[in-house]
Amino acid sequence: MNRALTSLVYIIARGVRGMVQAPLVQVLAMATIAVCMLLLGTVVLVWQNAQSIADRWGVDVPITVYLVDEVEPAAASELASRLATVAGVSSSETIAPELALQRLVEGLGDDPGLLDGVDADVLPTSIEVRLADSSASDDAAVLAAQLRSEPIVEEVVVAGAWAERAEQLLATLRQVAIGAAALVGFACLTIVWSTIRLAVYARRAEIQILRLVGGTAAFVRGPFVVEGLVQGALGATLAVALLWLGFAEVGSLVADAFALAFAAGSLRFLSPPECIVLVGFGAALGVLGSRAAVARYVEA
Amino acid sequence: MAILELCGVTMSYGSGRARKAALADVSLRIAEGAFALLQGPSGAGKSTLLKLILAMERPEHGTIRVADRDIARLRKSSIPYLRRNVGAVFQDFKLLSDATPRENVALALQVLGLPRAHVDARARKALADVELDPDTRRPVRCLSGGEQQRVAIARALAGEPAILLADEPTGNLDPRLTREILELLGSVCQRGTTVLLATHDPLVHEHAAASHVLALTDGRLVADSEGLARALVAAPTPESTVEPIGVPA
Ligand SMILES: Nc1ncnc2c1ncn2[C@@H]1O[C@H](COP(=O)(O)OP(=O)(O)O)[C@@H](O)[C@H]1O
Ligand SMILES: [Mg+2]
Repeated sequence: MNRALTSLVYIIARGVRGMVQAPLVQVLAMATIAVCMLLLGTVVLVWQNAQSIADRWGVDVPITVYLVDEVEPAAASELASRLATVAGVSSSETIAPELALQRLVEGLGDDPGLLDGVDADVLPTSIEVRLADSSASDDAAVLAAQLRSEPIVEEVVVAGAWAERAEQLLATLRQVAIGAAALVGFACLTIVWSTIRLAVYARRAEIQILRLVGGTAAFVRGPFVVEGLVQGALGATLAVALLWLGFAEVGSLVADAFALAFAAGSLRFLSPPECIVLVGFGAALGVLGSRAAVARYVEA
Repeated sequence: MAILELCGVTMSYGSGRARKAALADVSLRIAEGAFALLQGPSGAGKSTLLKLILAMERPEHGTIRVADRDIARLRKSSIPYLRRNVGAVFQDFKLLSDATPRENVALALQVLGLPRAHVDARARKALADVELDPDTRRPVRCLSGGEQQRVAIARALAGEPAILLADEPTGNLDPRLTREILELLGSVCQRGTTVLLATHDPLVHEHAAASHVLALTDGRLVADSEGLARALVAAPTPESTVEPIGVPA
């Protein structure tokens, strides 16, 4: 084993020994970090699920134009391409009955059998119109009014107010998630910083001795960074575990209550990469907090 | 060859009106293998001089060479490597009181990144060299003052430094233990380590088998048995004249 590796082993051993000497402090720090990270995880989870529900409900399609039953495909695509040239429209797409049926089947998720034997012809042809981001909110209403006078148009549905509110809700949730990440980050840093400060104080004689006998800054700092890293990573792992348990409990209740909203699919938990990011976030906060707490004491 | 060489070293604590000179234009040279005794009353600047050699403080002026390396302007990241080559013991031992002697000594070997078996073997040897039982499981706080200082000396020497600094090492010991520790330092020197012992204690002046005696007063070197300081300073100012003095028998 080379010297750097041997030193790492000593650093980890001293870090673990330090933690074992003050188990209560470790448990408290981890529990507090877990509570903070649980808050963050919950916000992210709610935001993620709201986002995926909104995606399934087609919030991003502000205007849907249903055409009369006997419309010719050529007439439909002619209207679609005419719509695409209107100022403020970013795209328009013809949805043939077959595609509409396929979407319905996919949307039913677990229970596609419900639509067995349904013929695509019962569904109307429609055109989905997306507006440019820069368009004003009443542009959609004006355009809808114009479309209603077209002979081949049966009905125009403007997602308008509802879609806008959903978009606003999503934007707010995203901001809450970012705000929670910042707050939780700050809280975790503070927790780690103060626990490591205590550890540094308790072991100040050892620090002084290590410096005296020629311990490098990394060697002196190392055990405290190990302690901070473990607190952060374990705290975040605990939070993910609690979140998962809570999700299993609450998730099914919510899914039942809002069966309609989730008809297009079930609620989803954080993906494994998202969980890893959360644990990594905790570990990084632990490292940063402990380094800050010990910085002044490792210098000669 | 000189293992330690100070040239025109000046150092003050504090700043502004509170500024106080602790060392003024000190030049000295200690040969490899010497047993140097640094005398001087309390507040003369002895500890400051040793702190400079350990790079715990920085000089304002002058150069400090340890094993031919100028350490006065050493980079912070290089300081640990200097300290591995300069052992130090103090009046208050600076030991981990709840750890055993061997654990205390091992700390100085772990910082070198030596493997565990090596650390253990060398810690045992270092303790045996100062006539302590390497296998005792008693924490250091249960040992006598003399034994604690032996542990400190073993720790300082475990990494085989070129020079051992001792700042009032007998300050907490009774006369009998003081003589024992001085004897031990004498034998350390005989085994090849340069020793620089700083103390205001006349008992130590009397009993240390010093080959080189220096005296500080008010931050100035006022006596040097080797008289080398004079040769080092190109144009000595009248008030920094250093009197050569004899080495006690
Ligand atoms: N950390 C410090 N801050 C301010 N003054 C100090 C400090 N350490 C020592 N001094 C002053 O420097 C002078 C030399 O001190 P020191 O080197 O400890 O002397 P000695 O070891 O010979 O007793 C004394 O006047 C002391 O008061
Ligand atoms: Mg002193």
